[in-house]
Amino acid sequence: MKKLFAVALGILTAIGGFVDIGDLVTNAVVGSRFGMGLAWVVLIGIVGICVYADMSGRVAAVSGRATFEVIRERLGPRAGLANLTASFLINLLTLTAEIGGIALALQLAAGVGPGMWIPVALFAVWIVVWRTKFSIMENVAGLLGLCLIVFVVALFLLNPDWGTLATQAVQPWTETSGHPLSYWYFAVALFGAAMTPYEVFFFSSGAVEEGWTAKDLSTERANVFIGFPLGGILSIAIAACASVVLLPKAIEVTSLSQIVLPVAEAGGQLALAFAIVGILAATFGAALETTLSSGYTLAQFFGWSWGKFRRPAQAARFHLSMIICLLIGGGILATGVDPVAVTEISVVFSAVALPLTYFPILVVANDPEYMGDAVNGRLRNGLAVVFLAVILVAAVAAIPLLIITGMGS
Amino acid sequence: MRRARTPQHPLGWYQDPDGRGVDARLHLLDRQMLDRADVPISTVDDIEIDGVEVGEAVDHERPPVVAAILVGAAVLPRVFGGSMPRSRWDRIEWRHVRRLGTVVRIDAAADDLDATWLERWIRDRVIARIPGGRHAPE
Repeated sequence: MKKLFAVALGILTAIGGFVDIGDLVTNAVVGSRFGMGLAWVVLIGIVGICVYADMSGRVAAVSGRATFEVIRERLGPRAGLANLTASFLINLLTLTAEIGGIALALQLAAGVGPGMWIPVALFAVWIVVWRTKFSIMENVAGLLGLCLIVFVVALFLLNPDWGTLATQAVQPWTETSGHPLSYWYFAVALFGAAMTPYEVFFFSSGAVEEGWTAKDLSTERANVFIGFPLGGILSIAIAACASVVLLPKAIEVTSLSQIVLPVAEAGGQLALAFAIVGILAATFGAALETTLSSGYTLAQFFGWSWGKFRRPAQAARFHLSMIICLLIGGGILATGVDPVAVTEISVVFSAVALPLTYFPILVVANDPEYMGDAVNGRLRNGLAVVFLAVILVAAVAAIPLLIITGMGS
Repeated sequence: MRRARTPQHPLGWYQDPDGRGVDARLHLLDRQMLDRADVPISTVDDIEIDGVEVGEAVDHERPPVVAAILVGAAVLPRVFGGSMPRSRWDRIEWRHVRRLGTVVRIDAAADDLDATWLERWIRDRVIARIPGGRHAPE
């Protein structure tokens, strides 16, 4: 019974924790421009994150080694440091976007400008990282994130023409507008948003935080293979809502208020309240995850003591580095840069960084010294190699597409 | 630096007491070190080898040995090249090493090692002074 409860809780928090500011913004932007024409990318992204999150979770559970320890050990100091620098900077960008997302969500709720909320958001994230137990942090943010189901409810309330949505989804190229390559630019961005590297750092480090062993592999699989796809439905619902309400009116998504517009139209104030709580929980949860991920990557690379299961004094460099990262993120936002723009950039660069994270995990998941009998089977390796190829294509195409299409405009 | 391309000794020469072949690059460098209580100490950033001088032939009767594990700034020359003056080395004596595996087990407490001074400095000067820093998360 207790086990069943743990599995159910894990699945629910995986659903509620799946969506972050990158998914919210990118899905709404894509829905408002291409309808359901890029839903296939979300589906591919979900399968990809499942394959690799499962692998990194298994490596962590079986060997007790988290992702960046493995990356350093396999790539050596030079290539490892290059990898760390890229992954860390992109994670910092994502962290900035998430903090901005919290501020925007609070702005929606209270009407006071986002700039005022940034210090509040930073302090709230820090105090949770500093004082709250890992499991409580995960469960509260994940369960409140389930409020985003309101996007699915809103989609039904809008009573859309399901045939049109299906047609858009299966005939993806008909809705293209603007630069012909912008479709592919947004495909890469959406892929980067769905497969954000921090999810893998966080998932594997979280397995160590919660003391997972080979016995917990069934829980891990349930979280990943049930929780993530159900969380992905939320992503698709956000895009669908945007394509039903925003696409016909040619409303361009430039802020959070446009993302929640379909929800407000379908369900009024009550639905809007749920959406705001959901967005707040999703961005806050993701801000915690990215903050911790920045500490995890540095600590694991240099071999420092890390983890929320320790007192801050017993993981001093880990906690200091997270404080500095939060201050840098706050500093970037204090310049008045638009958090939505930061988000759009961060998902594209996430796509660039994907192979850096995923390739070393695949190598170690095949190493019997680490994995014993639990090395990858043929099916896992086959899927992983296929996705590595997809990831490489997206990573190589990302920057050229960004430049050619002028960020998709 | 010239590297041996073919083994010049019988296989036993390269093996640890468990009979496992050990390669400093593969099995030692860049591995995580844990202390007695499983607290991470550092990554193995470099190693100090005794009994061999650069440019001189190795005396096969007295093979070179790993004298110490170097941590901290010792990783910089491995990334950017150059060398680190001996006075800047943070050493962990080889006698503390208990076991080599996917992690290197050190038979000491992390806080007792001189090489972990930076962690202690940041703890005492910064983290422990912030309210709640010495308490377990709730």
